[in-house]
Amino acid sequence: MKRRALWSTALIAPLALYGCGSAAAPESSSGGGDTLVVWDWKSGDEAAKSYIEAAKADFAEQHPDVEVEFTAQPFDQYYNLLGTAIQAGEGPDVMLFNGGGQLRDRTDALVPLDDFVADDMERLAGWEAFTADGHVYAAPVTLQGHPLYYNKALYEAAGLDPEAPAATWEEFLADCAAITEATGADCFAMGNKEGYGIQFFMSGLGPGILGPEEYDAWIAGDRDWTSPGVKRIFELWVEAEQAGLNNDGVNSTAMFNDEFALFDSGEAAHVVGLMSDVGHWKEFGEFIGDENVGVMPAPVVSPEAAPVLPYDGGIGYGVAEWTDDPELAADLVRSLTSTSALEAFYADAGAIAADTTIDASGAGPATAAIVAELPTGKPALHVALSAETLELMGRLSQQLLSGSVTVDGALAQLAESDGAA
Amino acid sequence: MPIGNPPPQVASEVLGPAGSTARAGVRAARGRRRGNQRFHRADRLAPYILVAPAVLIIAGLRLYPLALGVNFSFTGDGDRNGQAVGLDNYSALFDDPLFTAAMRNVGLLVLLLPVAVAIPGLLATLIYLRVPGHRVYRGVYFFPAVLSPVIIGAIFNLLLAFDGPANSLLGAVGLGPVDWLGDPDTAMYAVVGVHIWATFGMALVVFLAGFATLDPSLIDAARVDGASIPKVVRHVIVPGLSQTIQFVVVTTMIGMLTSMFGLLYVMTGGGPEGSTYLPEYYIWFQQGQMGRPALASAASTVLFGVMLVVGMLQLAVLRRSGRED
Repeated sequence: MKRRALWSTALIAPLALYGCGSAAAPESSSGGGDTLVVWDWKSGDEAAKSYIEAAKADFAEQHPDVEVEFTAQPFDQYYNLLGTAIQAGEGPDVMLFNGGGQLRDRTDALVPLDDFVADDMERLAGWEAFTADGHVYAAPVTLQGHPLYYNKALYEAAGLDPEAPAATWEEFLADCAAITEATGADCFAMGNKEGYGIQFFMSGLGPGILGPEEYDAWIAGDRDWTSPGVKRIFELWVEAEQAGLNNDGVNSTAMFNDEFALFDSGEAAHVVGLMSDVGHWKEFGEFIGDENVGVMPAPVVSPEAAPVLPYDGGIGYGVAEWTDDPELAADLVRSLTSTSALEAFYADAGAIAADTTIDASGAGPATAAIVAELPTGKPALHVALSAETLELMGRLSQQLLSGSVTVDGALAQLAESDGAA
Repeated sequence: MPIGNPPPQVASEVLGPAGSTARAGVRAARGRRRGNQRFHRADRLAPYILVAPAVLIIAGLRLYPLALGVNFSFTGDGDRNGQAVGLDNYSALFDDPLFTAAMRNVGLLVLLLPVAVAIPGLLATLIYLRVPGHRVYRGVYFFPAVLSPVIIGAIFNLLLAFDGPANSLLGAVGLGPVDWLGDPDTAMYAVVGVHIWATFGMALVVFLAGFATLDPSLIDAARVDGASIPKVVRHVIVPGLSQTIQFVVVTTMIGMLTSMFGLLYVMTGGGPEGSTYLPEYYIWFQQGQMGRPALASAASTVLFGVMLVVGMLQLAVLRRSGRED
């Protein structure tokens, strides 16, 4: 009996210290003076090889004595591994981020780069996605956006003019009906298994719904979830499903890559895709032919809307807060975003690079159409939301499709989550 | 070495030159005393030294992290990192519909446990009773147990897709398509069904091993007396296998609560509508994806509590069955 009491005390005693320390480690520094470690999910790709080589060469010119080590992590585990490194307060000196929430949630672990990259501000585009509270935390490598792609071959088969896609939602619905009747293809390829479908829908079609002022206010953080425009986005999400515009089984279709496979195989006429990496012009072109990949502005749903291309900084490199020499690491970031490196990335990996001085006119009609829209483009609607709100929106979007929540109910929950963030 | 025997080296010290027998005797006696003391100390320490590695490993790698995790569950995330926040994480946890859904799913798993045990039990019985082709089935049933959950998940993702073969089959017999993994009412059952399919081979082997210990003469006797197969199963086989059944219940329960992550990750990712979350998936999600390690610690602590209760109950059941024998 006595022994048991002793054991219990021994086991419970540490709990008396409850609430001490922290789950994420406080700052500490890591060693390794002459080696910079870079974490990303790109450097292992064959397509990104020339980019890494060019960046390394650029950096070696300035710092011949510093070694750079690239560690490619699997993307689906990347933020888990990074989270562990951040909690430990040691890890890579330079790390790759997706723009938006993934970066903003982790700015505690990053060095503000404003002073280091001031000279690149003009040359590169897409800084907003890597900016939080007025500071820049990473330099953009690619631009990521959500153009509305369409299959010109299906337009032709339905007797429509592939060079004159619909400008308004009514015309768009009429075109879709014609295409479905003539070819059997669905209007939209849609996959919402991961809850990403709603994000692409919001950003891809939102510019045709929200007026410019409301759009800018949304991006700036002033979001009214009860406004008629925002409500219209979610109503349209439900209507599109109920009107049979989407492929079957939206909630069990993975966006990556079942949704894009539907578009690739000509089973759907439209898809809100990406600009870089995957689900983009290069991939679609390989399947349906470069000449058949069309890019159209979002059809106008509300008359006050003036559609623009929604895009942000896609991926970018940031400097870890625990690195020994932030200036050295920032130099590496500058090399990774140098014109020579980004030119290689654009040419080989099929990404719209963040460098506005690269000439992209020779890469097919879809690319040309996207690049032409860049100067007037605005940040995508969903990128402005926190990771937590996006996760909730994904879940609610699935409930909207199955009818277990109303649009008003979903908006109320989202407003609460967005307000709390 | 039996504890309490005199140390052997004392005997050699007694052997000295003949002229100094007396002194040697005294020295020997002193030596014996010193030897005994040395021996007693070593004797007392030996058990501690022998268990030390195990205790250190358990304390350092199990208990300390456990205490640390419980401790972290009372601290904050993000801006409040490192501050004591009392029970805030726990109240956030039970306010979170995702977490309550995860706990409900644990309850569902417990309810589905009898099915998960009955399937291998029934199939093992049929093999034991030598239905035609039993040799083939024995191998075939075990086959999925050697596949990784990721591969199984990928296979069933294809089979259960909305336009996949499962729905084509249903369509052929005139039934409407079911969105197996896209409908929150069916998704959890689909994943649990696949998990049972994937793992019942192991339980089947355990059952077959249990059957090997059954006395065949009892079954023969029952058959001679004209008992039907259901009656043989009910009155002869089940009572004879009670210990095996209990063992399978415990291991299946542990398997369901701790190794569904891979399947969930590949098949549903916790969706649709958050309907297929389990606590371990929730912990992974909050820690890694949302960057909330303290909240994840709180969820881990709750899961630890649940597992502790389940484990205690199972131990109690096992101990009682041991006493019955």
